[in-house]
Order: sequence, then structure tokens, then C-alpha cells
Amino acid sequence: MDLLLISEYILLAALAIFSLATIRITTRKTIGMSLVGLSGLAIAVATILILIKNIYGIGFCGDIALALIVLGPVGTIAFSKVLKGD
Amino acid sequence: MAFIEVTDPISLVKSILLIICAVLVILGGIGILRYKDDLERVMYARIHILGIADMACILALLVLGEYLLAAAYFVMAPFNAHAIANAHYYGEEKR
Repeated sequence: MDLLLISEYILLAALAIFSLATIRITTRKTIGMSLVGLSGLAIAVATILILIKNIYGIGFCGDIALALIVLGPVGTIAFSKVLKGD
Repeated sequence: MAFIEVTDPISLVKSILLIICAVLVILGGIGILRYKDDLERVMYARIHILGIADMACILALLVLGEYLLAAAYFVMAPFNAHAIANAHYYGEEKR
């Protein structure tokens, strides 16, 4: 078995655990915590999708990851503006 | 070990970097859950910990060959963290 493939699977497992941690943070009582959790979840899911694209050769996962990486921070910044009261 | 193959030195370096990323992501996941909510200014600590996981994911994207995505998120991650901290300071903490 290829070492690169094994390390990709290890990173996949680590990102899955991190995603669960960020979902747990998202459910805390303040809105700021939800923003932190969602921001972490967006980049974790995007990296998982890129890993899936590399391992299984599913091309459109890259497009979804691009959308997540661009729109995740944009949504977070927009909601932060609302939270701040601008 | 016999069943683990290393085809070339570049893939060995890539594997080591991906495992380093996995360790950093796990540490970020532990750190983000570690502190209690009633701690003072725990929000900023969590934003700081999130930055480590962000950079680990950017490194993983670079290793996996997605340079454009890594560069885009490298530019946007500090704006993101600043926006959350700023909104929390002026929106939730001052109320």
C-alpha cells in the first residue's frame, strides 16, 4: 500500500474529528461561537472534498471545495457585519 | 514494513507533510473544545486556535496540488478571523 495514500486517509480521519469538534462549537450559546465553528467547518469540509477528489478521482468535488472556500469566509464576514450592527 | 511502499522521495515528503497537517488539525480540534464557555474572553482563544487548523488545511491543500484554493484561503483567513473578533468585541461583549 502506498504511504501517500495512507497519510491521506490519516488526514481524512483527522479532518472528520475536527469537523465534529467544530459542529459542537457551533451549537454553543453565543453567535460568535457559531461563526467560529462554521468557519472551521467550511475549511475542513473543503479539504475533505479535495482529499476525496485525489483519492477517488471525483472531479466535481474540486468545484464544490472552491465554492466553499470562497463563499464560507464571505458569509462569515457578512454575518459579522450584521452582528456588529453596521 | 513490506506492505507500505514509497515510490519516490517527493511522495515521502508529501506524506510526512500530510501527517504533520493531520496532527495539527487534531490538536486544533482538541484545543477548540478544551476551554469552558464561562471563561473570560475564551472567544479570542478559539479564534486563535482556529488559525492553526486553518494554516494546517492550507498546507494540506498546497501538498495536494490545489495552489489556487490555498492562496485564496491564505488571503481570506485573516480577514475572516478579524471580522469575527471585531463583531464579538463591538456586538456581543459591549452589550
